[in-house]
Amino acid sequence: MDSSNIYKKSGFDFSNQIRNNFLAAKGVPVPKATSTGTTIVGCLFKDGIVLGADTRATAGEIIADKNCEKVVNPSCCGAGTAADTEFTTALISSNLELHSLSTGRKPRVVTAMTMLKQMLFQYQGHIGAALVLGGVDVTGPHLFTIHPHGSTDKLPYVTMGSGSLAAMAVFEAGWKAGMERQEAIDLVSAAISAGIFNDLGSGSNVDVCVITKERTDMLRNYIKPNERVTKERHYKFTRGTTAYQSENIRKYIVDESITYLTGSATTATTAEEAMDVS
Amino acid sequence: MTSIGTGYDLSASTYSPDGRIFQVEYAGKAVENSGTVIGLRVKDGIVLAVEKLVHSKLLVPEANKRIQSIDRHIGMATAGLLADGRHLASRARDEAQNLRDRFKEPPTLKAITDRLSLYVQAYTLYSSVRPFGISSILGTVDKTGPVLYVVEPSGIFYGYHGAAIGKGRQIAKTELEKLKLADLTTREAVIEAARMYGVRSHISRLKFLLLTRIYLVHEDVKDKEFELEMSWIGPETQGRHLSVPKELKDEAEKKARESVEQFDD
Amino acid sequence: MNTVDMQQLKAGEVNLGTSIMAVQFDKGVVIGADSRTTTGSYIANRVTDKLTHVHDRVYCCRSGSAADTQAVADIVHYYLQMYSQQYGAPPSVHTAATLFEKLCYENKDQLLAGIIVAGWDREVGPSVYNIPVGGGLFRQPWAIGGSGSTYVYGYCDATYQEGWGKDETVNFVKNTLALAMSRDGSSGGVIRLAVITEDGVERLFIPGNELPRFWEGKEVLGQDMNKTFTHLAQMEIEA
Repeated sequence: MDSSNIYKKSGFDFSNQIRNNFLAAKGVPVPKATSTGTTIVGCLFKDGIVLGADTRATAGEIIADKNCEKVVNPSCCGAGTAADTEFTTALISSNLELHSLSTGRKPRVVTAMTMLKQMLFQYQGHIGAALVLGGVDVTGPHLFTIHPHGSTDKLPYVTMGSGSLAAMAVFEAGWKAGMERQEAIDLVSAAISAGIFNDLGSGSNVDVCVITKERTDMLRNYIKPNERVTKERHYKFTRGTTAYQSENIRKYIVDESITYLTGSATTATTAEEAMDVS
Repeated sequence: MTSIGTGYDLSASTYSPDGRIFQVEYAGKAVENSGTVIGLRVKDGIVLAVEKLVHSKLLVPEANKRIQSIDRHIGMATAGLLADGRHLASRARDEAQNLRDRFKEPPTLKAITDRLSLYVQAYTLYSSVRPFGISSILGTVDKTGPVLYVVEPSGIFYGYHGAAIGKGRQIAKTELEKLKLADLTTREAVIEAARMYGVRSHISRLKFLLLTRIYLVHEDVKDKEFELEMSWIGPETQGRHLSVPKELKDEAEKKARESVEQFDD
Repeated sequence: MNTVDMQQLKAGEVNLGTSIMAVQFDKGVVIGADSRTTTGSYIANRVTDKLTHVHDRVYCCRSGSAADTQAVADIVHYYLQMYSQQYGAPPSVHTAATLFEKLCYENKDQLLAGIIVAGWDREVGPSVYNIPVGGGLFRQPWAIGGSGSTYVYGYCDATYQEGWGKDETVNFVKNTLALAMSRDGSSGGVIRLAVITEDGVERLFIPGNELPRFWEGKEVLGQDMNKTFTHLAQMEIEA
């Protein structure tokens, strides 16, 4: 086994791996990775697609952002590593725009899906982006899930993230073909709410995005079931809570002045202390 | 050739004012001066034959092959600069091997010739190279049946029932046209062969015909010694490209000589 | 909290715990698959289509990692489009199978893909090729694959006969898959079938509540039990 060399100047340092292998061999448990919690969903309705997401962003057990936007651009929701979903979708949406410019056609959902899956497959799951991709193009409405390893599924209703089980239960019970716009929005918000309330990794508000052939409506914070209310009690102590016997107030702030040795400024006065620089 | 001597014939990368590339046409001349090469495509087989002029009595007969194998089932005969023929055959073998690796099956001649012709054509584009001084006859029996192609120095290629290149090509072509190559079924050929030479496969019969033609064609240059080289692909070779067996060749040559003598009478 | 074991991070992805099958008959091939896609114990997709088009008359059945098999099938689909443009004719099933095998073998360290390629071509008519995990190319009259296949090798060996027509073959595939799905926890959902012949590709669908059913045991309590008892009692009297 190689040991680390302190004289080695450049390149990666793999000495920790040696240590980790040693510890693993000794029976020390391998650390667990905490997957990022999210509930994102999408569903097909009569005129298009409704996407939905919760707004909780977590970093370990800390809620990093209580009202983040997971509907990354108006056709794609991201779960998994926040940075990865954001940058992959940004990159693909940029490439899709260029593609559209060079072909002179409006982009298609399958094109975006193919570009995303090829990129994610190329990175063999190291880009932890789990996506729900939905949209309406010239060939009609389409809805996909894309997993971090690059596999895709095409379905009429989909859920992803740690809250996907709770959300899927709502869809399985309530989805039907050819729903009206409002029905679909209600179903999606019910699914997200199920994630918010039953999954620890999901929480805060419901974002909804409705995509039809004509327009896309971003309904940010469509439901806010976790609004912060004013606290009924507080920790402030009123003045005079503590009794005292005597009072002694001293002056701790030191006054300083500056003495100019050269130039036109004349000797400044010193109040209590003068600096001796001669 | 009005433009000769005006500088337009010095490079393959220069057009003449009337849109010709003289270097390619000169390559054609190199082919025309070579011994006659012919190829026949019949119902279930291919025959290639080359007339080699014996320029030295010290040459070992039967050595110095002009027909080459590209793959187990593909033969190639060239007319023109011999060394160019060797090089192109080597390239064709690479193409064949690549296709074999890629598709795990004997490649079709079409696929090889498509790429080989692109290679030949690339030598007509640059001032730093000279076009190939050869025409090649490629023959096979692949999964599409018997196929025969001729690749010219320009890179263009055509499929044929019967092909002739080299010095005696004109006469050879006229003789080939007299045969009903496409209609020559095994049955008909067997009957023909049986009538004339006893029981023998139609390829043998064909070879006899072929030989006759070559010998006829050779009459033009009969003052010179020549050697005949022949290969075939058919049911009798199990689809492989092989030299024609000696007995068969000797027999056919004998028959051919006899028929030439008949012509002489 | 949802935790993932880091050492199995790659393996813990989307899997096609699967039952797939392809059978050759006189005029074409019948291919079939269950519809279950799983991530661990969760069914990520219960109506998956594992019968994947790679050319007009060539399909593949996918088993193993969803990401890997989709990527491989996409690449082969692209190659075959290029092939038919270049050679001016549709590729043979053998050609398609060879391309799959190449990709699966040359990248065997990085792939988990067991693929069955089947279809019809002008050269040999119908044919089925099996490409197990790790590569290798085997032409077979019938092939089964995926985790569910292990349960039904015996059934196939005992049942398959040469010379079947379309309907018999469809029934064979349907029954085999139903049996595999009933025993394999990673297989299930619906059965998707496709019949590929010279004339075209016909898609068949068997919903989960209409799968062929086999002996599923008897009710222990209730009326059936009484029947058993009266039956036994009668036997006693007769004795």
